[in-house]
This record gives sequence, structure tokens and C-alpha cells, in this order.
Amino acid sequence: MFAKTLTKAVFHLTLAVSALAATHASADSTLDRIKGRGALTVGVILSGAPFGYIDPKSQEQKGYNLDIAKALADDLGVKLETVTVTPPNRVQFLQQGKVDILIANMQYTEERAKVLDYVPTPYDRAGGAAVVRKDSGLKDWTDLKGKPVCVSQGSNYTQPLIETYGATVKALPSQPESLLALQGGNCVAAVHVGGTVALLLADRPEEWKDYAIPFPTELIPSDSVIWLRKGEKDTQAALDNSVKKLHASGKLIEFAKANRLLNTKYLEEEQKALSAAK
Amino acid sequence: MQDMSLTDLFVSLTNRIGLNYEFLATGYEAQIWRDGFITTLYLIALLIPVSLIAGLLFAACLTSGKIWLSAPVRGFIELTRNTPTLVQLMFSFLVLNTVVSNMLGGAQNNPLSPFFWVVAVVGLHIAALHAEAIRAGIEAVPASTVEAARGIGFSQLQILRYVEVPLAFRSSLPAIVNNLINLVKLTTVGNAIAVSEITYASIMVWTQRDNVVSLMIVILLFFSAINIIVARIGLWVERRLAVPGYGL
Repeated sequence: MFAKTLTKAVFHLTLAVSALAATHASADSTLDRIKGRGALTVGVILSGAPFGYIDPKSQEQKGYNLDIAKALADDLGVKLETVTVTPPNRVQFLQQGKVDILIANMQYTEERAKVLDYVPTPYDRAGGAAVVRKDSGLKDWTDLKGKPVCVSQGSNYTQPLIETYGATVKALPSQPESLLALQGGNCVAAVHVGGTVALLLADRPEEWKDYAIPFPTELIPSDSVIWLRKGEKDTQAALDNSVKKLHASGKLIEFAKANRLLNTKYLEEEQKALSAAK
Repeated sequence: MQDMSLTDLFVSLTNRIGLNYEFLATGYEAQIWRDGFITTLYLIALLIPVSLIAGLLFAACLTSGKIWLSAPVRGFIELTRNTPTLVQLMFSFLVLNTVVSNMLGGAQNNPLSPFFWVVAVVGLHIAALHAEAIRAGIEAVPASTVEAARGIGFSQLQILRYVEVPLAFRSSLPAIVNNLINLVKLTTVGNAIAVSEITYASIMVWTQRDNVVSLMIVILLFFSAINIIVARIGLWVERRLAVPGYGL
């Protein structure tokens, strides 16, 4: 009797799961829906300047990612709606349709490209930088072997830190917790997107006077791209077109400078290449 | 080799019903995930005795009738019962731990790990709940029984040891088992401070591979199995200790 109920339960579970899997393969109606509703819903991460943060004075969301989202919505002729996401939940927000696209500090990886589609033209190139104590004596990534290193959960620096450099990775819910854990001495280094931590150290010199970013290279510099649900070719093409325009017109460099992205070399190269192609 | 092909078979079979366990065939993610199960079981095995012993001590203080013993414990119980465990854990790890480091002259001298803080915070939180259950049990021991014990010359401590606690433990056992089931589930807060228990390990995997459904199913089954066992053991102990005719 019990065995029969169990078999039945497993069967139902299987059905439910395969139904869930099947919804991924629906037709591309997102672009129509965006235009119909007159709004583009973007998932953004507000983990700190320069990419996404809340301005303490005006209480408004600001940052490089927000500027891009605004420009894309303008280009599609709709208004912008944002939803705040975090690294552990952002993909679920996208897959469950709570957001149309993600501009959420997500770099291109092969694993991600298996479950999601992305806009082929990147909007930035970012790598990881390690914040360490000045008196720690750490000089390069190889010095991290066997030492505790803090990252945020969902960071794509986890794998190279473990597999290439043999570090003991501790992943905290988000960047502020990770940096607090560094200050509390729970790890020897905190590894985050280079632009964010460089700006943090420059903006709060008093709080961070004992810390520096001493390593000469960035960890796995990779392309930041916009992610969308699998199979949405129309939306993908429309957004790719918009991003290319933003590159060619120099708008992205403008956004980067306005938000104080310290390294704009990649954006300048891309601007030259794309405006020449026109 | 045999092990390898079994993993592959499992991965391809589950793949057919839309589940993704591909990470099992890779290096470090599979390692983190396997360690996650062990860490969770280790936490539970450690936390059950820690919470029971601390809970018993708290209850003894509460019912001692001595204000300098009961007042601080009452204060601690109210604090830990009335605030969210996750907040307590974040506060302990990010604030208290830093204070301890500063007092010891640097983080390198601080022996307290995130694992310690999970055991301390969750253990004492559940201990507070145990204490309330045991206190209720102690207060439910008939006054005449205690009087009889005092009449044959038992000291206050002997009454607690031989009369009150044995009876109180029996009547508070259902509540204690409930608390222990809660404890098993509470171990998952460890993921907030990077204790590599099973939810932390799963977050590490699913943030890279986005196979949340596949891993959630395993987590739910895992915790259901542990708690069925905890509840069964609780029931067995209850029957075993039952005093015939006393109604407990």
C-alpha cells in the first residue's frame, strides 16, 4: 500500500518537474509583451557603486547598469521598471518571468549559456580584484594558496580561486558581508569585481586605510553581457542592436565616466571598432 | 571506475526527466556538495547534546528560586527567543567576532570560526526553548511529591536531581522533540556566514549551474529523512521512559 502511494507520488513529482522544464521552450512573446505593456522590466543588482547603488541623498537607484537599462528602454520606446535581484536568486527571477532581462554583473560563462540566452555584444569587460591588508605580504594570486578568501555567493571567481589557485573560498550572501568578514579577519582577501572595490577604497580612504589592491592582474577578465530567457531571439536581436548603437555613439563611455568606472579601455576599443564598422 | 559509471548513469537518467545533476561528474563542486551533507550531519550531531545540556542548566537556574541565578537566564531567554536567529548569527559573526579579535590583538589570534558561531547561536537559541519546556515540566510536578521528598530529608539539589527532573523530562519530551526537529532545520542559517552545510553547498552549485529545482528536491528529501528519524527516536524514548499508571 505504502509502496503504491510512493510510486504514485514519485510519478506526480516527475510530471510536475517535466512540466516545469517544458515551459522553458515557449515561443518568444517577450518582445511583444514588453511593447504591449509599454515597460521593460530589468533585474539589477544594487551591491555598490559604480554599477548599481541607491543614492543616499535622493533615494534613487543609480549606476552604470541602471544607465544602460534606461537607455535600452528608451531605445525600445518603453519605460523602465527595475527589480532588485541578488546573485543567488537572479536566474530564478528571470526564468519565472518576474523580469524580462538581467543587467546584473553577470559575465559570460559556458555553463550559463547552456540555460540562458544572452545579448552577444557585451556592455563591459570586468575581472576580479582582491582587497587585502597592506601588512599581509600577499603579492599575487598564487599567494592565496590554502588561505581563506571571501567572495559573494554566486561569484564566478569561486571556481578559478579554488581550482587554479587552491584558495579556501568562503562565500557570503553579498559583497558588503564579504568585506565586513575581511575587516573582521575571517579571510585574508575579498575578491570582487575590480571596478567596484577600487572605487570603494578610493571613496572611503579612512575606513580602508590599512587595505590595498596589490595584485598586478585581474582575475579572469570576462565579458559582462545582458541575459535573457532561452529562445527569445526577437528580444535578443533588438537588444543587441541597441547595445551596438550605445557603443558606436560613445554613450557607454559617457555612462562609464559619469559613474566613475576606473578602467574604460575595453569600452574605448569597442567604440572604435563598432563606429568604424558603420 | 564502477563508481564513475554509476554517477554517469544517474546523471543521464535524471537528465531525461528534466533534472540537472551534471555537476556530480566534475571536481570541486561535487566535493563541496558531498562535504555539505557531512557538515550538516556533524552540526546536528553536535547541536542536539549542546542544546539539551544548556537547556537543562537554564531550566535549573530558572526554577532555583534564587534571583541572581534566574534573572540573567530569564533575560537571555527573552532576548534569544524574541529575536530572529539569522540576525543573531550575523550579529555574532560580524560584530561580536570582530570585538573578540580586537581584544585578542588581531584576527590571527582569534580561534573562533564561523562553525563555532553557528553551534553557539543555534545551540543556545534552542536551549532557551528547551528550558521553557523543562521549566513547565518542573512546575507541573505535584507539590505534594516535592514535599514528600523534602520530608524524607532530600536537599534542594537532590530533589531536582531525583524527583523533579526525571518527571519533568518525561512530560516535556514531546515539546523537546519538537524543538529538536526545529533545530535540524535551523542549521541551514549557517549558509549566511559561509559554514559549508548542505544549503550553502547547494547555493554554491546552483548559482553557477542554475539547477535550483534539482538541488531543492534533494535538500527537501534529506531534511525530511533526518527529521523522520529524529521524531521516531523521540517517540521510542517517550514509550521507553513511560511510567506505568502515572499518565506520562
